[in-house]
Amino acid sequence: MTVIAFQPRMLQLDGPWRTGELNAMVETLMPEATRPGGLGWDVGLTEIGDPQFYLLGPPQDECLLCISRIGCRYVLEDGAGQVLFEHYRLSLLVERAKAALQKRKAQVVARAALVWCALRETVEERLDAVVLDGEELLAHCVPQLAALA
Amino acid sequence: MARQIQFAKKAPEAKELRRRAGAWLKELRACAGLSQIQLAERLGLKYYTFISQVENGFGRVPTESMEAWARALAIEPSAFARRLLSFYDPELHRLLFEVKE
Repeated sequence: MTVIAFQPRMLQLDGPWRTGELNAMVETLMPEATRPGGLGWDVGLTEIGDPQFYLLGPPQDECLLCISRIGCRYVLEDGAGQVLFEHYRLSLLVERAKAALQKRKAQVVARAALVWCALRETVEERLDAVVLDGEELLAHCVPQLAALA
Repeated sequence: MARQIQFAKKAPEAKELRRRAGAWLKELRACAGLSQIQLAERLGLKYYTFISQVENGFGRVPTESMEAWARALAIEPSAFARRLLSFYDPELHRLLFEVKE
């Protein structure tokens, strides 16, 4: 018996985002947005009316990720226009968007940790120098003060 | 009166400037007689959606592709970059091009 693999039926959509689509994107990606200084989102349309979902992030509410629907295909791009993923299933694409967001967050944390370590190192070096100077001064002054007393 | 040094643009101000940059780019594209799809083709993009992202004021033209955008829109690259800098980083633009000794 021959089994024919049918292609899944792809629904051709046009016009703005449907409520279901928006809910899927917001519910998956927005837990981040509830924190102060977290993410935000907005929607827009292209010149020919294809809908876009923009995920905005600090510090200047700039687009971090953009999801667009072109015909029956969803496209995920980063803020520089690089296509990260494309698929006809929105749920799959939103999961990819979430993973991209988490990866980005990890990079930010790693960078912050690096800056913190460098800062600590610098402060410790300077503090050591001050403490050593203080000890020298004390060693120099104490005998003199003792002699005066 | 002395100017206050600004270390970072506030989000609403940056957003408004990006929106104005987008409107300017849209105008340039219209003058060049190109659709978003045609501009994307000239820039070698797979999809035209990034053009819309930038024109709607949510994204920026990446520095590395400014020259390609300028040529696609038939505008001199340095003038194009300078104008975009006035939107994307007005303080740097002021220091580079407006402050006179």
